[in-house]
Amino acid sequence: MTEFAAAAMASGAQLRLRQLTKAFGASQAVDRISLDVPAGAFVSLLGPSGSGKTTTLNLIAGFLTPDAGDILLDERSIADVPPHKRNIGMVFQSYSLFPHMTVAENVGFPLRMRTRLSRQAARQRIDEMLALVQLGHLGTRYPRQLSGGQQQRVAMARALVSHPRLLLMDEPLGALDKKLREQMQVEIKRIHRSVGTTVIYVTHDQTEALTMSDLVVVMHQARVSQVGTPRVLYEAPANLFVADFLGDSNLLTATIAHVSGDELAVEIGNGEKIRAARGTSAAAQGSRTVVLIRPEDISLTATDERTAGQDVVAGTIKDISYHGDTFKLDVALGADMLKVKVPRERGAGMERGQKVFLTWNSSVVRLLPAADRTSDASGEDER
Amino acid sequence: MSATAGRLGLSAAVLAVLIYLIFPVIVVVAISFSSGNFLVFPPPGFSLRWYESIAGDPEWVNALWVTLKVGSLSALIAVLLGVPAAFALVRHVIPAKALLSALILCALVTPPIVTALSTYLFFVPLGLVNTVVGLACAHAVSGMPFVVINTSASLRSADINLERAAVIHGAHPLWAVLRITLPIISPGIVIGAIFAFVHSAHELLVATFVLGGVGKPVAVKIWSGVQATSDPTIAAASAILIGLAIFTFASAAATQSLAKRRTA
Amino acid sequence: MTALAEPRAAPLLRPALSSRGRMLPALLLLPCLAWITFFFLAPLVLMCWRSLASEGFSLEPYGVLFTSPLFTKVMITTVRTAAITTVFALLLAYPLAYALTVSGGKVRALILVFTLIPYWVDIIVRSFSWLILLGDNGMVNKALMALGIVSAPLQMLYNPFSVLLAMVQILLPLTTVTLFGAMLRIDRTLITAAKIHGASEWHAFRTVFFPLSLPGVYGAGLLVFVLALGFYVTPALLGSPRETMIAQTIMVEASQLLDWPQASAAGAVLLIITTSIAAIYNRYFSLDRLWGGSDK
Repeated sequence: MTEFAAAAMASGAQLRLRQLTKAFGASQAVDRISLDVPAGAFVSLLGPSGSGKTTTLNLIAGFLTPDAGDILLDERSIADVPPHKRNIGMVFQSYSLFPHMTVAENVGFPLRMRTRLSRQAARQRIDEMLALVQLGHLGTRYPRQLSGGQQQRVAMARALVSHPRLLLMDEPLGALDKKLREQMQVEIKRIHRSVGTTVIYVTHDQTEALTMSDLVVVMHQARVSQVGTPRVLYEAPANLFVADFLGDSNLLTATIAHVSGDELAVEIGNGEKIRAARGTSAAAQGSRTVVLIRPEDISLTATDERTAGQDVVAGTIKDISYHGDTFKLDVALGADMLKVKVPRERGAGMERGQKVFLTWNSSVVRLLPAADRTSDASGEDER
Repeated sequence: MSATAGRLGLSAAVLAVLIYLIFPVIVVVAISFSSGNFLVFPPPGFSLRWYESIAGDPEWVNALWVTLKVGSLSALIAVLLGVPAAFALVRHVIPAKALLSALILCALVTPPIVTALSTYLFFVPLGLVNTVVGLACAHAVSGMPFVVINTSASLRSADINLERAAVIHGAHPLWAVLRITLPIISPGIVIGAIFAFVHSAHELLVATFVLGGVGKPVAVKIWSGVQATSDPTIAAASAILIGLAIFTFASAAATQSLAKRRTA
Repeated sequence: MTALAEPRAAPLLRPALSSRGRMLPALLLLPCLAWITFFFLAPLVLMCWRSLASEGFSLEPYGVLFTSPLFTKVMITTVRTAAITTVFALLLAYPLAYALTVSGGKVRALILVFTLIPYWVDIIVRSFSWLILLGDNGMVNKALMALGIVSAPLQMLYNPFSVLLAMVQILLPLTTVTLFGAMLRIDRTLITAAKIHGASEWHAFRTVFFPLSLPGVYGAGLLVFVLALGFYVTPALLGSPRETMIAQTIMVEASQLLDWPQASAAGAVLLIITTSIAAIYNRYFSLDRLWGGSDK
């Protein structure tokens, strides 16, 4: 268990979802989702719209009743507990601050509803919370007088004031512009570390999920596609959808050419054979598969500088685009097109039509199942 | 055809139609202040005598009083029944929702004579003829669509997350509806109630059948007046109805903008 | 890393949702629907019943309806008047609704207020104001004579002209607002796109906006037609006996002749006609979208 978990165990709840299911009419919104969330963790539900992440959040909150399955908070089932009794805090994309109450009154609202704290004690808690979100001086203002970022911080203070063991966040930064969003991401993480509550964070922005979370749950078409730490998801995706959804990717159809012991080689589109990481997927010689190579893992040279143990393939640059700190190149390899990302100095001399040599470490060539139930086999492009 | 010519043409057409719409209203109001004895426009002079004669005539005063009672009661019933119905239609998943909302709106497209005749036949054995309550109950049916439509519109544009924010942080769901959502949608409810009231005040045929005798409302009295008399009393009575409607609407609008200023 | 993948299969807990949650929408709707059923639907059923049975079961009143020259003439007059009213109401409402659609905030609000003010005046008064204006001594005749266009007052009352003039005026606000609501839903960027590709204002209107507005026109037309069929006050006040519409006939049957079965039969026929048309409307346009754009 990591250090955050140990410290946070006292203030964060453990959350379990068991075969949670919800349908709206004919469409399945959430399909047998099971999840174990350790106490105090910051967990993101990441996925495209329609993947079921917001529905899952609303089920945890209690605004929707599941068709089947259970929700356990600290090992006790809360599926039959009405939302106002679940002792959860929640932050919404539209802030949802009560317009006719001051900031202090907004923050104090859960205390009025849930506890019997004296005025003084409540006052103290409210001040504590406002200090935590760094808005101590704005207690008497009204929400309409605050900026978007400030309103969201008030919303967080309100959600945390009664020390809930679970905090739900529904795309809270969606309404903010890029710079503010990045600042708020740091803020939210800082608050999480201070308070130690368990956080479930819904987002469609993979950068947000990767930078903020202890664990990411990638959702796709009402199901869980993969669960893991950001690094595991990015570097060892379990299926096509996750590989494509997170970061840029090159997905090449290939046939397994050779399997022996630790070694694995695949034959890609242009007939060349390259080595791949063994991975966990069963690999039978001759079977079709998909390999993933991240653009930033590919090195580009103008001349063939191959060293032993490395695969090198030759290609032609079809397009270059400048991205300030990097160049992104489209390199044609027979029928395949590979995206390559190189640092600025590297790409500076390159031009369209130039013949180049691509090389990489065989450990970054990952095998993916050719098709499985959580990947959109029909719709996905394999580039 | 050039754009400006088209725009000019459109403006001219619009102006003409608006005059066509407004003018008769102006006529009525003007005549109500007429110093002459006949229904002529433009009136010969200014006078308040017709308003005075209404104020002094116990039958007219009673009629206005009846209209007020029936209108308020039917609007109240429409609100008490229509607001929950609007919540059900907007917030919940219901089988055959389209059919149910069509049922609620039915009353507005049914010919008034059919409603009047059927209501009368129904009320006679129930003993509801010649009662204010009876007429109010009947008018409530046609007031309900106005309340449901306007409340639904308000509900749809209100942010449901405000209510959810209250509930998740400890408020009982009913408390959240009453103290958070209801104030937000009150403009819609009030507008619906006003429309229901005005509709009741103007309604003629059901009123004629159900309450056309001694305790008749203003609309019925105006109708019999129009066919019998030819003096501007009728105009004055109508102007009073107009004034009442405008007053209610204006005060509602004022309270709403006050509320908006507080919460914007 | 801590195990977070799909845990070992657990038995399905908890059956379907609580019965309390299921019942709420029904409880909210029930009072409203019960009221309407009791105070609206039950009377209609009763009326239809009375049309068939006064002394024993008999279809005679319906027979009279379809054979009597009086009734057939009145029905024809009613349908004809309603149809003409609908056409003119649509013709006048269209430019008004279009102006509302293309106008900015203040102008739009102003036009809307003026369009809706007449609504606050009841039908009786609006009809009888025409009585004043169109009479022999009325303003219109006086103006015409003063301008020398005519030498004797024109007979403008107690004929189809006065009835139609008043009916169109009375139904105009609703037609306009309904059309406006429909027009608002048309994607204006389509017109901009047309103009960018060289269409003139008029051409863009004719080929893009107008066809897209037609469903709204049909919808508003159906609505106005249904309402016009049931008109009572206006033809009674401004029309001669030749312009009698069905509502007046039913009134006479009921209140003067006290022939309840006959009145009920006529009422039932009128009800069936209007319900059928409303059902057609509902099928294509959905009744509750009617007032979607007319929020005041």
